[in-house]
Amino acid sequence: MPELVKFKLNDKELTAEKGTLLIEAARQNGVEIPAFCYYPGLSLQAACRMCLVDIEKRPKLATACTEPVMEGMVVWSDNEKIHTARKTTLEFLLTNHPLDCPVCDKGGECELQDMVFRYGAGGSRFVEEKLHVPEQKWSPVVYYDAPRCILCYRCIRICNEGMGVGALGLNYRGVNSEIVPNKGDHLECEECGMCIDICPVGALTSGAYRYQTRPWEMTYVATPCAHCGDGCKVTLSVRNNQIMRGNNRDASGLNGEFLCIKGRYGYDFTHSAERITKPRVRKNDELVECTWTEAIAAAAAGLKAAKTHGVIGSTHTTNEENFFLQKFARQGLKTPHIDHRRSADFPALMDALAGRPATPSALATSRDVLEAPAVLLIGNNPTDQHPMLAWNIRTAVRLRKQHLYIVNRASIPLVAQAEAAKIAKAGEEIEELERFRDALAKEKDVVIIFGSEVKGADITKLVAFGDTLPGHTRYIALADNANSRGAVDMGVLPDLGPGYQPAAQAGMALDEMLAGNLEAFLIVGANPARRYLIQAGKAFVVVQDMFLTETAQIADVLLPSAGPYEKGGTVTNTYGEVQRQKLGLLVNGAKTDLEILSLIARAMGFDLGAANAATQSNEVFEEIRRSVKGYNIAAAALWTGSAVPAVTLNGAVPHRDRPDLIASSNDTLFTSGTLGRYCSALSAVAEAKERKNPEGIGK
Amino acid sequence: MISDTLNTAGAIAKGMATTLKELFQPTITEDYPFEPPNFEGRFRGVHVLQRDANGLEKCVACFLCAAACPSNCIYIEATENTGDNRVSAGDRYAKVYNIDYNRCIFCGYCVEACPTDAITHGHDFEIASYETGTLVYRKEQLLAKEPQGAPAK
Ligand code: SF4
Ligand code: SF4
Ligand code: SF4
Ligand code: SF4
Ligand code: SF4
Ligand code: FES
Repeated sequence: MPELVKFKLNDKELTAEKGTLLIEAARQNGVEIPAFCYYPGLSLQAACRMCLVDIEKRPKLATACTEPVMEGMVVWSDNEKIHTARKTTLEFLLTNHPLDCPVCDKGGECELQDMVFRYGAGGSRFVEEKLHVPEQKWSPVVYYDAPRCILCYRCIRICNEGMGVGALGLNYRGVNSEIVPNKGDHLECEECGMCIDICPVGALTSGAYRYQTRPWEMTYVATPCAHCGDGCKVTLSVRNNQIMRGNNRDASGLNGEFLCIKGRYGYDFTHSAERITKPRVRKNDELVECTWTEAIAAAAAGLKAAKTHGVIGSTHTTNEENFFLQKFARQGLKTPHIDHRRSADFPALMDALAGRPATPSALATSRDVLEAPAVLLIGNNPTDQHPMLAWNIRTAVRLRKQHLYIVNRASIPLVAQAEAAKIAKAGEEIEELERFRDALAKEKDVVIIFGSEVKGADITKLVAFGDTLPGHTRYIALADNANSRGAVDMGVLPDLGPGYQPAAQAGMALDEMLAGNLEAFLIVGANPARRYLIQAGKAFVVVQDMFLTETAQIADVLLPSAGPYEKGGTVTNTYGEVQRQKLGLLVNGAKTDLEILSLIARAMGFDLGAANAATQSNEVFEEIRRSVKGYNIAAAALWTGSAVPAVTLNGAVPHRDRPDLIASSNDTLFTSGTLGRYCSALSAVAEAKERKNPEGIGK
Repeated sequence: MISDTLNTAGAIAKGMATTLKELFQPTITEDYPFEPPNFEGRFRGVHVLQRDANGLEKCVACFLCAAACPSNCIYIEATENTGDNRVSAGDRYAKVYNIDYNRCIFCGYCVEACPTDAITHGHDFEIASYETGTLVYRKEQLLAKEPQGAPAK
């Protein structure tokens, strides 16, 4: 039980935990103390003087953002002296401020506007001419307008402390002070846009959104990010079925305030001119546009004519779509051959942990990473591949003194935060763990996080190692994409059905299917042709995709599908947390993969349910809750926007080990498989060219 | 009986005198539609988007008029001024600016809201149409003419 102290605020007796900052203690008790530079979780700055309060027996006003509450303290936050102080502070902040709110991107959601409105004076006594400095373009996505800057240093601190990048600094003095990027006139950084998000005014603006519209003109849709497997929540600002920006100011997701460049700027694949919006069928060896009726009929006829089928699913489509796809394959087409591109060996992990209780779970959630006293990270480069995980680790190391141990084939950026790090040769990661045994044995609880380097039998060895540690050891396997985990959980695998239950009949894996003699393929949102040679014309190929990928080009029937921001459903992140995906906008011509699949099912005479386009996603979700082990999750929590962990430890998982099939596509911060190829912001930033995708595999 | 007759004749004479007097006064009835009507300066007709002295559009696409509009009939799309394409004096301008006269109630709130005096009420009022589609006026229809001899942009 933390120690409580009593203090008096505005003549009211209150209590707060010892050591709490006055500003926080006041907030906890419903008293707002205005502030600019104070930001929870960042170092204290006391730069803005907006939070001044009157403390008994103090000759001068004190800053509530640096003052811890003490027993018997008597504080006023609302008297004449403070009102005058606030008015003066604001007057000073506005001496050089252009007050061009009508053309400022921040207008309508600006902390300075709100403060002046609430606490400011009606006019200014400054008549001197304002200093004008031209606006600066620091990168295609970050712009800086010095006159609007109130020098709160939030941007500098979030970049130093939160991002660990340290790309921003301060130049000049007094009224000339301004924020400078690390390269003098431009930025070289992670381009995450966290600095823009945290800026209380319109000094830092987003290259993708600036001067386009105004905050009150848009609707806001909070939905999981379409890219990596971390499952950040991004708030899309939508106007006229167009995404104007992505941000995260409500911080309601499991990512807190974090978003990487992909979440914040990587939405414009949705509006890419290269999207396919009309179905196509192959006629005289050419893909020609046709009606949906014709395309669905052609797909159904071709699939019906074939005797053997292979089905390839996606790591980006929803759980509902993946569940329906495996049902379509197993019950409709009656084929056992179904797979997807795997990037983490979840079946091996679930098998190795079989028999453990559901609570406390041996699987860690994203929140556990933030709270764990120690993390062991084997393989992967979270800074590039799982940016939110990297953020969580940095936050935990900074604020909670978490101990980080790293085993990796290369020196990754997180080594800077590590207690100890070891470079291991490929395949020797598990042996190298012995070096950390003594150190880890002293830790209370350890969360072990591993990338696609650890798979198959190595996972069993890893769990055996974890078992020798004292405390509660939990595991996280890192998979590439937004719904990589969901694809496995929903049974888009040749040997396992939904919920890690053995399939009635084991089928061929991805490579075997593509090398074999199957007569027809149904490929949903995947691009195997990028990695495997698929001979055109050998089999009948139906492809559902947003773009004319390598695979789509060899299709016999190509069906334009809706992107992740254009449909409802659920997705499961790599930690097993299920989140609801919300319909953000509609794109003319495209249909959701679920709707396309049920149209084909109907044309082929399969009775698989979910025929009503408007309700099918919910119907399938109900079926998942009823029938998939571990997915009977609290729907109410899900519908209100929470991330709910699925309980996927349900006994032994008899699976066929194929470690050779498990590989990460090693996306960087600026690539994201097929989606990334159509995101203009990701390729526009200079850093994208230097940071190469080592294996260049793609989706 | 006689006094009744005299009274009536007197009243008629008085009435006719007024008529006669008014007959020679200048007319105030306007001959619209055969002649253009005269307006008070504050008459609120079809809007005009004004230009500044240099011929640049005054509108900076702040959306405040659209926010103030009680019948929600103003639609704007904003974009940034660039070096070679400067349309307004501010950082941004209205790429699209539509007023839907099917809905506009000529209340003048938009004019009140405008921080740059860009939107004003003009005096045009003859906009009746058999086709509602023609009542959505675009920026090109609303903009004031470029002043003669305006500096090249
Ligand atoms: S930063 Fe805020 S106060 Fe300053 S011009 Fe922009 S909206 Fe107005
Ligand atoms: S974009 Fe991100 S990494 Fe770059 S300066 Fe801003 S906070 Fe730092
Ligand atoms: S740019 Fe924004 S966040 Fe950075 S110091 Fe200026 S006002 Fe603060
Ligand atoms: S960390 Fe992953 S989920 Fe989060 S915003 Fe970046 S790409 Fe999206
Ligand atoms: S007309 Fe005036 S109020 Fe309307 S957008 Fe333009 S500048 Fe703003
Ligand atoms: S919030 Fe306390 S000085 Fe800025």
